Amino acid sequence: MTVETLDPIAKQADTTMPPKVSIENLAFFYGESKALKNISLPLHDRKVTAFIGPSGCGKSTLLRILNRIYEMYPKQRAEGKVVVDGLNILDKGTDLNMLRAKIGMVFQKPTPFPMSIYENIAFGVRLYERLGKEEMDERVESALRKAALWEEVKNKLHSSGLGLSGGQQQRLCIARTVAVRPEIILLDEPCSALDPISTAKIEELIDELKDDYTIAIVTHNMQQAARTSDFTAFMYLGELIEFGETKQIFTHPGKQQTQDYITGRFG
Amino acid sequence: MTDVAAITPVSKERRIAASRWFAPSDRLFHGLTMGAAIAVLLLLGGVILALLQGSLPAFSKFGIDFIYTQAWSPARDNFGALAPISGTLITSFIAMLVAVPLSFGIAIFLTEICPMWLRRPIGTAIELLAGIPSIIYGIWGLFVFAPFMQRHVQPFLINTFSGVPVLENLFAGPPYGIGILTTSLILAIMVLPFITAVSRDVLETVPAVLKEAAYGLGCTTWEVARRVMLPYARAGVLGGVMLGLGRALGETMAVTFVIGNAHRIQASILSPGTTISATIANEFAEAMGATYTSSLMALGLILFLITFIVLAFARLMLLRMNQKAG
Repeated sequence: MTVETLDPIAKQADTTMPPKVSIENLAFFYGESKALKNISLPLHDRKVTAFIGPSGCGKSTLLRILNRIYEMYPKQRAEGKVVVDGLNILDKGTDLNMLRAKIGMVFQKPTPFPMSIYENIAFGVRLYERLGKEEMDERVESALRKAALWEEVKNKLHSSGLGLSGGQQQRLCIARTVAVRPEIILLDEPCSALDPISTAKIEELIDELKDDYTIAIVTHNMQQAARTSDFTAFMYLGELIEFGETKQIFTHPGKQQTQDYITGRFG
Repeated sequence: MTDVAAITPVSKERRIAASRWFAPSDRLFHGLTMGAAIAVLLLLGGVILALLQGSLPAFSKFGIDFIYTQAWSPARDNFGALAPISGTLITSFIAMLVAVPLSFGIAIFLTEICPMWLRRPIGTAIELLAGIPSIIYGIWGLFVFAPFMQRHVQPFLINTFSGVPVLENLFAGPPYGIGILTTSLILAIMVLPFITAVSRDVLETVPAVLKEAAYGLGCTTWEVARRVMLPYARAGVLGGVMLGLGRALGETMAVTFVIGNAHRIQASILSPGTTISATIANEFAEAMGATYTSSLMALGLILFLITFIVLAFARLMLLRMNQKAG
């Protein structure tokens, strides 16, 4: 729990590589009310960044900007810049379908589509690629394996995805996201509806996924943020209070507010 | 603590007194609601019995042949139901063919694409369309729509498809204006608001997170609607379609005005025909003799059966769809 335990190599790698996503002076509005103020932070390539903060602080909102899903609702708008691989995704010309192929999202509640387990995964893949049956079978299997669900569903791939338990459904949604082969995965409180065992499985999964993907996770669970993330952003009332390496945030927070929140004095 | 102890016995007594009063009134309520529910069964049974009894003479005279002979000659007291049955099925089929995709399109537009300010006006217009009495559609069909079909649409269809095998026969003959196609289109307009309104209502129940998940995967609006929203809402949507189909099968007034009332089956959908309900409405007042009246009753029974089969089929379809996707 001391600064000395920090891995110097990891730290070095983080600072030398350009960030995968760079959020610059971002503001967000729900109609007239401003939900995010002047947010700037990087998401480092193939690292897990956790967003923590009390309810209503804007962390989910921030996540929803990254794949522009907020555009489904006409009164919501974002200002500022979100640069992904050198391109500002808030530009008007951005191809939303391609953006969302690159940035997958998993929601708070499991959202399996009303179709079979196999189709739930193949559906997303078919949006972008034409695969033969064998290739598709392989892709579905590898996605389910990645999500640690294969062993549980391999004998009932063609029964409904809605028949799975909550934890399985959530892993199915992660498999669906992974199958499209995005580069960035956004997890919006992925474990809030799950029991401790399913939660543990998903945390293990996050650990494995970060070898290949850049991950942003919103969580209300301090321990989860501490366990799973490399970087942590603490937000409060629509502002970014502090951003830094998770170990530093949890052991030597720079701001009193952060200290109070992670020690449970408010939240 | 002492307060609670003091109150408890009183409230218990009151409760017993209250339940003494409630118990009989509760039983009465039970009886009333159950009676109302049983009345439905009795009514249905009564209707079936009356139809069976009424159609008995016709069926005992013509046997099961009644269903598949085309003859309809009051002069010779010889009747067969094939022409009205086929007219009913064909007009309803074409009507659904036109109305279902249109309704889905409108419903999806209203729930997914339509800007907020336009939603109310379109929604209200559809509800108003559903409220127009069928006699109005009949008059409009006869005086406005049929002449329009006769002058513009039918000649165009006949000219376009002449020489094309199969289709040539489907769109043949002089442009009467009235006939199977005109009836089908009017039926389509009539059932459209029902299917649209029901579909819109059930599509609105699709959870926002499910749509977000689909859009978040990179789906286009069409893909979300086709692959996620419609399957999710399929039970309700199918219910709406069946409601529309039921209306199309049984619609009487508007159909009687524009179908031409000809007891003939012809290949061309431009030719006049008849339906079960139109035949009954047209001829019941002047039906002379037991066989004629009974034949019309038998037509009624057949319509009843068709509706029943359609409903049963819809249930079966839903069951199979549920097994497939859950």
